Amino acid sequence: MKLAPSVLQLNLTEVEKRIRRFIKEYVENASADGIVLGMSGGIDSGAVAALSSRSIGGDKVIGLMLPEKETYNSQDVDDAKFVAEKFGLKTQVCDITPVLESFYKTIPIFDQGDRLCKGNIKARTRMIYLYYYANKLNKIVCGSSDKSETMMGYFTKWGDIAADISPLMDLYKTQVRKLAEHLGFPADLAAKPSTPALWPGQLAETELGLKYGTLDLILYGLERFMTPEEISQQLSIQKILVEKVKNRWLSVEHKRRLPLTPKIEYRTVGTDFRLPRHIY
Amino acid sequence: MKEKIKLALAQISSKRENKKENLQKIEELTVKAKEQEADLVIFPELSLTGYVLHDQIYELAEIIPGPSTKRIEELAKKTGTHIIFGMPELSEKTKATIFNTAVFVGPNGFIGKFRKMYLPTHSVFEEKRYFRPGYQPVAFNTPVGNIGLFICYDIFFPEVCRLTRLKGTELMVCISASPAVRRRYFEILTAARALENTAFLAYVNLAGVEDGLQFWGGSRLLSPTGDLLAKAKYDEEDLIICEVDYSDIRAAETFIPTLRDLRPELFDQLKKYSETL
Repeated sequence: MKLAPSVLQLNLTEVEKRIRRFIKEYVENASADGIVLGMSGGIDSGAVAALSSRSIGGDKVIGLMLPEKETYNSQDVDDAKFVAEKFGLKTQVCDITPVLESFYKTIPIFDQGDRLCKGNIKARTRMIYLYYYANKLNKIVCGSSDKSETMMGYFTKWGDIAADISPLMDLYKTQVRKLAEHLGFPADLAAKPSTPALWPGQLAETELGLKYGTLDLILYGLERFMTPEEISQQLSIQKILVEKVKNRWLSVEHKRRLPLTPKIEYRTVGTDFRLPRHIY
Repeated sequence: MKEKIKLALAQISSKRENKKENLQKIEELTVKAKEQEADLVIFPELSLTGYVLHDQIYELAEIIPGPSTKRIEELAKKTGTHIIFGMPELSEKTKATIFNTAVFVGPNGFIGKFRKMYLPTHSVFEEKRYFRPGYQPVAFNTPVGNIGLFICYDIFFPEVCRLTRLKGTELMVCISASPAVRRRYFEILTAARALENTAFLAYVNLAGVEDGLQFWGGSRLLSPTGDLLAKAKYDEEDLIICEVDYSDIRAAETFIPTLRDLRPELFDQLKKYSETL
């Protein structure tokens, strides 16, 4: 197999159809009254908003904009509004700053300088807002995590990853960008740099240390059981870079699973308790 | 035996773990198919229960004959049709040994069953965790033709179809629960199995979504030369009525004489090398 950008090409019409069908059937089977999703102004949440709206109708979809003062970016708000308008979904804005400040004040060991721990509070606070709306309005939470971030563990445990469904989780970031263009997003918005917005100026590609174009091909190779050596040769990059990606992917499996428990009894939650999801 | 029969490809989306609702759907569609003069109505793999069952399968499996098959037998008698459908079969001799089975009934009652021989246990599939494999390809000589049965992943192993054909099958029936990412493989293999065996092949797949698995539908009838004679919608439920004219087989067999050209001595080698892979 030759690792080249062409391997990431998809039949986008088919992908859109499949995701829309997935969303629609899930919402129907869950007897939910629609979807609530977080709208950061980024391309993942924008694509999810568009797909949700097209699947079940924009009147049943609420996009929550959850800004806070440290990472507030008016362009993000404009982009989120643009998407909401284009795809006909409702939005609400909840400024989470006061809630965050309460956390900062009331945690005895709070460390202002530890931006990761602090940033994770932001992601988890947003999750609480989303689930409040979902509970209150009998909707499901639709997540916007993509495959690149999920494989790399580039998300906050129980934070931005928390959702009832994640329709983009089997698409790499570069594929999400292509899908967004296919859905009618302007090219500049589809190519907008990603940020989890945990602190000002945070950029995904800077933190991950690779451009998504390269990262996605590495992950694609790992997904297909290629060795780091094969991948590095094919992409003409250092083997150590590929090994770093592979190690990170493997080391963060705990973030993608239920908490581990020692095997004591007959059937155990998370391991050999294998049950179908009941959403009827 | 009839020279021409009408087939109904009943591509349904099963309600998981809800035999009552699925039986009702099977009844409704059989009646509808009969109104369009269908002689044989075919439902997908595990259509009685849905496919993604995990540990719940132990609560759903039934012996054959059992309550569900009896009900379908009555339906066949009442409507005068032949019916093939899929269900988890509990072994009569044990308490929790289950087979992935295709059941065949007709106006005169139970005709036979086929237990899936190749159980996919890779990717999203975990069938060997739950099912015991079957050991025998089957072919049933009935008023609607000599019919061989197999299930989904069995189609990847040409020897299953070949054996049913060598037992006299003229219509190979493959019931399936194939997710969308595998559509291309089945579209190729259904045509290949029909062509290489110069027999009709009816493929009936599930539709709908179960636990994120999207079944692609696309049920079809292939001619003995691998031509697509009828095709159901992709992804959605559908009911297709189509015709099998068994007299077409003679022309196909003379034009592509694969059965005449069989080389039995190769089968010994096949056995030898597959044992030492």
